[in-house]
Amino acid sequence: MNRTLIRILLAGIAVLAIVFPLFAGDYPLQVARNIMLYMALAISWDMLLRSGQISFGIAGLFGIGAYAAILGVVRAGMPAWLSIPFGAAFAALVALAIGFVILRLRAMYFSIVTLALGEIFRIIVHNLHDFTGGPEGVVMSQGVIFGGNSSALYWLVLGGLAVAIAASTWFEKSRIHFALTAIRNNEISAKSSGVDIFRWLLLAFVVTSAIQGMLGGIFVMSYGFAAPDVVFSADFTLLPLAMALLGGIYSTQGPIFGAILLGLVAEWLKLKIPYGHLVVYGIMIIIVILFIPQGIKSLVKKTLGRESTAPEGGHA
Amino acid sequence: MTVKQRKAIVPAASAVAVVVLLLWKPTVLIYGLQAAGLYAAVAIPMGLVLGIVHIVNLSHGEFMMLASYATYTLCKALGMDPLLALIPMALITALFGWIVFQFTIRRALKAPELNQLILTFGLAIAFSQIINLIFTSQTYKLALDYSSMSLDVGDLSFGVWSFVFVAVAILYAVGLQLFLKRTRTGKAALAVGQNPNGAAIVGIDVYRTYGLVFALAVGLVGLMGALFLTKSAIFPSVGSPFTMKSFSLVAMAGIGNIPGILWGSVLLGLAENFLRSFRSTRDWAEIVYFVLIIAVILSRSLKGKKS
Amino acid sequence: MIKLKTTGLTRRFLGLVAVNNVSFSMEEGEILGIIGPNGAGKTTFINLVSGIIMPSEGKIEYKGQDITWMPAHQRARIGIARTYQLIHPLENLTLIENVMVGSIFARGHSVREARRRAEAICRELGLTRLERDTSRLTILEIKKMEIARALANEPEVLFLDEVMAGLNSDETKELIAMVQKIAKERNLAVGVVEHVMGVIKELTHRVIVLEAGELIAEGRYEEVSKNPRVIEAYLGGGAA
Repeated sequence: MNRTLIRILLAGIAVLAIVFPLFAGDYPLQVARNIMLYMALAISWDMLLRSGQISFGIAGLFGIGAYAAILGVVRAGMPAWLSIPFGAAFAALVALAIGFVILRLRAMYFSIVTLALGEIFRIIVHNLHDFTGGPEGVVMSQGVIFGGNSSALYWLVLGGLAVAIAASTWFEKSRIHFALTAIRNNEISAKSSGVDIFRWLLLAFVVTSAIQGMLGGIFVMSYGFAAPDVVFSADFTLLPLAMALLGGIYSTQGPIFGAILLGLVAEWLKLKIPYGHLVVYGIMIIIVILFIPQGIKSLVKKTLGRESTAPEGGHA
Repeated sequence: MTVKQRKAIVPAASAVAVVVLLLWKPTVLIYGLQAAGLYAAVAIPMGLVLGIVHIVNLSHGEFMMLASYATYTLCKALGMDPLLALIPMALITALFGWIVFQFTIRRALKAPELNQLILTFGLAIAFSQIINLIFTSQTYKLALDYSSMSLDVGDLSFGVWSFVFVAVAILYAVGLQLFLKRTRTGKAALAVGQNPNGAAIVGIDVYRTYGLVFALAVGLVGLMGALFLTKSAIFPSVGSPFTMKSFSLVAMAGIGNIPGILWGSVLLGLAENFLRSFRSTRDWAEIVYFVLIIAVILSRSLKGKKS
Repeated sequence: MIKLKTTGLTRRFLGLVAVNNVSFSMEEGEILGIIGPNGAGKTTFINLVSGIIMPSEGKIEYKGQDITWMPAHQRARIGIARTYQLIHPLENLTLIENVMVGSIFARGHSVREARRRAEAICRELGLTRLERDTSRLTILEIKKMEIARALANEPEVLFLDEVMAGLNSDETKELIAMVQKIAKERNLAVGVVEHVMGVIKELTHRVIVLEAGELIAEGRYEEVSKNPRVIEAYLGGGAA
């Protein structure tokens, strides 16, 4: 496809995304905010996946960023907008500490430890109830950021999404792409070519955790409230994972596409099935990983006549 | 430190802990051992799958949970006691596990390890959410007389039913060792676990062995699910801590080290109950397994630097 | 000038001694053959000097510096490179991108500069259509890519682990000439592990023989091939 045509299309979509609040009502804006939040999380999950590490702990880093943000405001009097990068930084620091320990052993150990993260952080927050407000949570008495204005909240999430997309693109276009792909494909070969595996994995983990923490901050600022069960909800791990898988991993567009598709399905499901609607995601993950592990993106590529295993950025 | 000395650390530490607790906080010792039995009985099958099929089944705890719910439904419908359902449940869950294996996991065995992790993660979600869908997140419990039976020793009174878990754990440990070392199928399974290509060359049907081992492991977990119901309340996510704790124990013990799982579970059970016995640390008991796995990873990576 | 030197290099795996007290050195500009029966420890030896595994005993020195415990990626940066016997190309990178990795990370070049240098190396080796997926390459091209990958490190010491395996005689001749040219132009110290004695005879200046992890002979091919102990190693109990 023509490069300039794609650029124009993307610019058009970006413009549409920005002006969306000017003509959309509250409910569509709310749906859009949710989709964009999950989309950004899906992109951040994929960024780490490119190194060959699966994180099941998105909810953990998201939640810890959320709590850092809201406690920053409520306990330290931080202005709301500052709490968001603060949440990102805090999550990054936590990731640095954890990554430093567990990234020396990899794949299986890393993934399973991340699986515990959400629950462990939830328990920690729950237990330190004097500081964190415990199981009942903590409320921002100064109210929601931007006074709860729907458009402003929308643009806030859009900003977070833009950061995620920018970071993902950076990961794709710079030497980071080479490092992560080499590590994912063949660690020994990578080592022999001078790649310091531990350092690059740590970088990827810290950056993606920062994004997840930032999104956690955005989330709590948008609601003015945090509770352990809410911000550490497994939804924040499950949905982004399913979205990225469905759309097509190892790319920025795949998670975007998967998020739109699944996000709309999620909204519809929430209305139809109150309990256990997440079963759809579980089943979807199973089907995708067994039958279309490269996601819908690969199916699209196949029908357009390109091999699904072609590396990104190569010519047709 | 010699290998022998290192291997003796956990049993030695456990022995010391036992003595200390016996004198100072006997209820911690009792409930800790009971919990150890439960954890070990659930962890040993995970070790079996990891050692022979070489996959980490993230839905391990969910199979137990499914068995618990199935037992509950069965017992309520037929008015029977769950103890009668132990063997049938083991067989049904084993069959279910075999079917799941054939339709899903088997297909992912040739794929990268990461695909298998995501797959079993998906299974875990699917299982717990299906139960959530059918039963909602409400907890269910059976009221049974025998499960609250207690013993009085001096001015100490404690529940004894949960010692069945210890019995089952020991049964599993001994039974599996016998199975793997003495029976033909067991030895074939061991061979497959150590060298699938070699085993195939000598005529062992590797995939059939995988299916059998997986079904066996799930069956053992299924029995525990039924037994678990006699003592505890169940809810859709009751299985997931068991997956994590089983993994911690298996990782700590190392593949193929069943006695190690027993010792590790004693450590875990005692540590958790110890923390629970003090008001100030009570809420931190659920973090112990995580600390354990981090400790394991740290010691492995420090050791690994030299190799 | 001695580029690489090992003293008493030993590696044990549980009960087995894979490399046993090997002391040798490699000079700038020389092509050294490393031969021995299957299971003699040749690949383990290369893994030890390239840093993929750490020794149980002994010392490794590179240009006078003790690198015994240096991690593999750092050794790549100071000028040690090697190819792998079982080549698994990085499947999600194109041919040229596979080659670029060493240039970016072992040499620290920018992506653009790395591409330029990688293209030059590929041209030198006769590799074309560089944007291709690695699954589309012939066996000779894969071998060349593997050598290119190692050359992208801009090494001073290079190990080629059975790089001629699976090639027909024309391809082997082409690769021999290529290795000679590369070694001469860059003044490399090259270690060549091979089973085909014809290759060793033509390519190498000097040969070392490993058997059951031990260095049993050293010298020019003509001498070593007549050494009774070497002959016995190959014909006697040495065949794994």
